[in-house]
Amino acid sequence: MPSLSSLYGCAALGAARSKLRPGSGPRTLPDRTVLAQHPGVSLEEAESYRRLFGGESFDGVHRAALPSVLVHIIGFPVQMALMSDDEFPLPLIGLVHVANEVEHLRPVRVGQPVQILVSAGNLRPHRRGTQVDITVTVLEQGADPKAAAAVGAGGSAETSVLWRSVSTYLSKGAQLGTEVSTEVSTASGAEETGSTAVTRSEDPKSFVPPVKTASWRLGSDAGRAYAAVSGDYNPIHVSQLAAKALGMPAAIVHGMYSAGRMLEGREPEGAGHRWSIRFEAPVTLPGTVAFAAEPQGPKTVRFTGWNPRKARRHFSAELQLP
Amino acid sequence: MSAQTIRDAVIIGGNRIPFARAHTAYATAGNQDMLTSTLNGLVARFGLQGEQIGTVAAGAVMKHSKNFNLTRESVLGTPLDPKTPAFDVQMACATGMEAIGSMANKIKLGQIDSAIAGGVDSISDAPIVVTDELRGILMEANRAKTVSQRLKALAKIRPGHLAPQAPGVNEPRTGMSMGEHMAITAHAWGITRAEQDELALASHKNLAAAYDRGFFDDLITPFKNVSRDTNMRADSTLEKLGKLSPAFGKDLGAEATMTAANSTALTDGASAVLLGSEEWADQHDLPKLANFIDYEEGAVDFVDGAEGLLMAPAYAAARMLKRNNLSFSDFEYIEIHEAFASTVLAQIKAWESEEFCKNKLGLDSALGTIDRSRLNVNGSSLAAGHPFAATGGRIVASLAKALHGKPGKLGFISVCAAGGQGITAIIEGR
Repeated sequence: MPSLSSLYGCAALGAARSKLRPGSGPRTLPDRTVLAQHPGVSLEEAESYRRLFGGESFDGVHRAALPSVLVHIIGFPVQMALMSDDEFPLPLIGLVHVANEVEHLRPVRVGQPVQILVSAGNLRPHRRGTQVDITVTVLEQGADPKAAAAVGAGGSAETSVLWRSVSTYLSKGAQLGTEVSTEVSTASGAEETGSTAVTRSEDPKSFVPPVKTASWRLGSDAGRAYAAVSGDYNPIHVSQLAAKALGMPAAIVHGMYSAGRMLEGREPEGAGHRWSIRFEAPVTLPGTVAFAAEPQGPKTVRFTGWNPRKARRHFSAELQLP
Repeated sequence: MSAQTIRDAVIIGGNRIPFARAHTAYATAGNQDMLTSTLNGLVARFGLQGEQIGTVAAGAVMKHSKNFNLTRESVLGTPLDPKTPAFDVQMACATGMEAIGSMANKIKLGQIDSAIAGGVDSISDAPIVVTDELRGILMEANRAKTVSQRLKALAKIRPGHLAPQAPGVNEPRTGMSMGEHMAITAHAWGITRAEQDELALASHKNLAAAYDRGFFDDLITPFKNVSRDTNMRADSTLEKLGKLSPAFGKDLGAEATMTAANSTALTDGASAVLLGSEEWADQHDLPKLANFIDYEEGAVDFVDGAEGLLMAPAYAAARMLKRNNLSFSDFEYIEIHEAFASTVLAQIKAWESEEFCKNKLGLDSALGTIDRSRLNVNGSSLAAGHPFAATGGRIVASLAKALHGKPGKLGFISVCAAGGQGITAIIEGR
């Protein structure tokens, strides 16, 4: 498994390099995938995750399968390995996680070894820079990753796929070369709506908060606490100084912290569900997030997080139960 | 085996100390002190010195871990026979009601002939604990077998771990305070600021009038030079109440209605009720104020907002009334615990709503209206204060006294509690 701390070191260097070479914008995605073998999430790691979110204990009887966001956590270093590759066209530092979609097809148990396959695609222009989708596929140990990668949804190799996600990142200010730009925007259609299922046509300025069902009080250490569990020590989440240096008003909480918290106790213990989240205004630390969980029928729950003082939306999300 | 028969559980009387606003008169008195003093007052009032009581049940919501046997330790501090068993109960703000209801049931079944039930709470001496991280490190050091292991564990302590942790006042699963939850329910039911202020004012006026006519003379024993509830404002007016800014539901903006005056203040205090069988009361030549007829626990699914946090009594009442074949018009007095003025009003509106009673309670029509002239006639928590576990004992003793001399007349009680729970009860005058 790649080490995240060494990747962030390379990332800082990468950011510096691209600043030194203005105008040499990103052009194409590297035509490669990264495959990692993961020994499985230990009970200790699962317990530190659940202590963070206050869920039920992984007792091995009533709770043995990993929550979706913990599967994301083990896939994240593999995403980073791909994105910190010299051939990857966007600088790692300054990449903003704008959306995430997850299909949690089959349970991933505590201690279950898995394969993690990561690929990049759909590089496309956005009015504020360039967006890219990183697909993570978590496979059973021993399954043929080529078959899984080649066969789309519904294929025969699907049975070996446990979990799949598409993470959408925005590189602010990075402009695509004209050739790629034309090609991709034709392929992806309307760039403003992005690629995620949760994107709704609501204008963020006309946001009317729903009825609050919970209030999350996040201390200044909330970023460090999620970093300790996830290994994602991106300085923008753990250090006020670094966050300010990177153009944020303060340190911000990881987007997937919000995803983990909204799903805790609400996603099934096993699998068969899918969910998506779209991140808007970042949650600065310390801060309070007003949260609403709204059932939209028996199998769908809509989640919204917002700043209760400014009525600015932090995220909107949807969980589809099996 | 002989067949069990149900007999009456008689409310003989009660005792409480005046309730005091947190961090004032009782700032140096803990739960143990207040509960023992309250039991001493009850023993003195009913001549129970040396008496072996069937069981004493009481509890506190905010409890120190050292008070693991709070009630038993208090019993040992009274002139009661030390062979009197005791145990602690805890059901948030319904602790006192649960203690009383379960003791009444034991008497009805003939398991015991007498019981004392009540509760105590102190905000001023609330348990302060260390952080989870520090506790984990200290426990690891405690388990260490060598000095170096112990030092290795202790070396993990960081300055941030040392901050003391006050007990949580928020619902653990939502992170919202009870007031924030109630503000949402109040808004959903369209409860106005004026209605809430009127209810708060009535609570103060009714409590003050009850004091003035000596109603509490045989219900309260002074404590620490306090003889009346210190939260009471007999001279309050609607104008004064109307000037306050909202304290809860501030994100509702201009539609926020809950203030510090129409919400119950944090309070210290204790209460206890003496219960017995008819025979036991007669043998000891004790008064028989009322019978404890029935009680019902309820809980609602509040976590993602399907129902309001404090609405459980609305559901418990429907089941309890049906079981006893009663309606609200059958009750002489109605006691609805004023956690917030809007809590009382939301329950009343729910029972008056045909839609709510059909869809949520599964009834054919609305449960009925509450005659306001029968509601909280001797004041309630907005004026008296609400030391969480002590509220049940305050209500039961006062209502039993109000019904004494009115044989067959009924009193209704509703008490909401944290965690989306609540208890309703029926008592009958004699």
